[in-house]
Amino acid sequence: MILTDLLGSDVVDSKGERLGEVSDARFALDSAPTQLLSQARLVGIIVSPRTASSFLGYERQGMTQPWPVAQLLRWWHRGSFLVLWEDIAMMGSQEVVLRPDYVAYESGLPR
Amino acid sequence: MSAEKRRKIEPSEIRPAPRPAGLVLDAQLHLLDRQVLDVDGVPVTTVDDLELSGPAPDEPIPEGAAPPSITALLTGPVLGTRIFGGRPPSNRLIRIPWDVVSGVDTVITVGVRSDSLEASWVERWLRNHVIGRIPGGSHDPD
Repeated sequence: MILTDLLGSDVVDSKGERLGEVSDARFALDSAPTQLLSQARLVGIIVSPRTASSFLGYERQGMTQPWPVAQLLRWWHRGSFLVLWEDIAMMGSQEVVLRPDYVAYESGLPR
Repeated sequence: MSAEKRRKIEPSEIRPAPRPAGLVLDAQLHLLDRQVLDVDGVPVTTVDDLELSGPAPDEPIPEGAAPPSITALLTGPVLGTRIFGGRPPSNRLIRIPWDVVSGVDTVITVGVRSDSLEASWVERWLRNHVIGRIPGGSHDPD
């Protein structure tokens, strides 16, 4: 699978209600190292209810300066959440379907 | 898109995210469009896309399925598709296997020389067929 096919897809819950768009995909390098780096496993997808685009990840990294830009971008991305791989039922060519009991997590990056 | 589908619902509760043990990378923020340098610090290309090991599109994912991982960084002729939409066909994208990636920072470093990667074929072709034929172009500057 190619990542660009996933980014920007609609995300719907198990009843077909639209939750937003895939704004990003989160990976973690936490398995046993192979040759040089660990395998980068898919942790989950970031779902943004308003826009699939992101600007420098302001809203995910807790940046506060310059203040007007940070406020604007935080407001624009309000309601973004992370859905783990375990809660994804299908990744289609048009939309991503979540499982009925999916859990939404905060989308901020760990610091 | 129907009017009913355009209506957005939001999850009732957003919980604190679990913290993975290792380095966490967001594809758009940390990987896509980053410069790739080889083991000697020579620029190779930029990352235009990523290849994942799964899942198959439009097929249900069984519960407990192992998460897909990044198998390769992809680079290719994406200028046109960036402007007009879509993406180049898979066979036009050049792979840099994840196994040779040695570090992810403000640049992505690979642990091999640029000459061993298919991604630098244009540069090699120009060196051999154009630069090398210019008088004095086939050796290092004195």
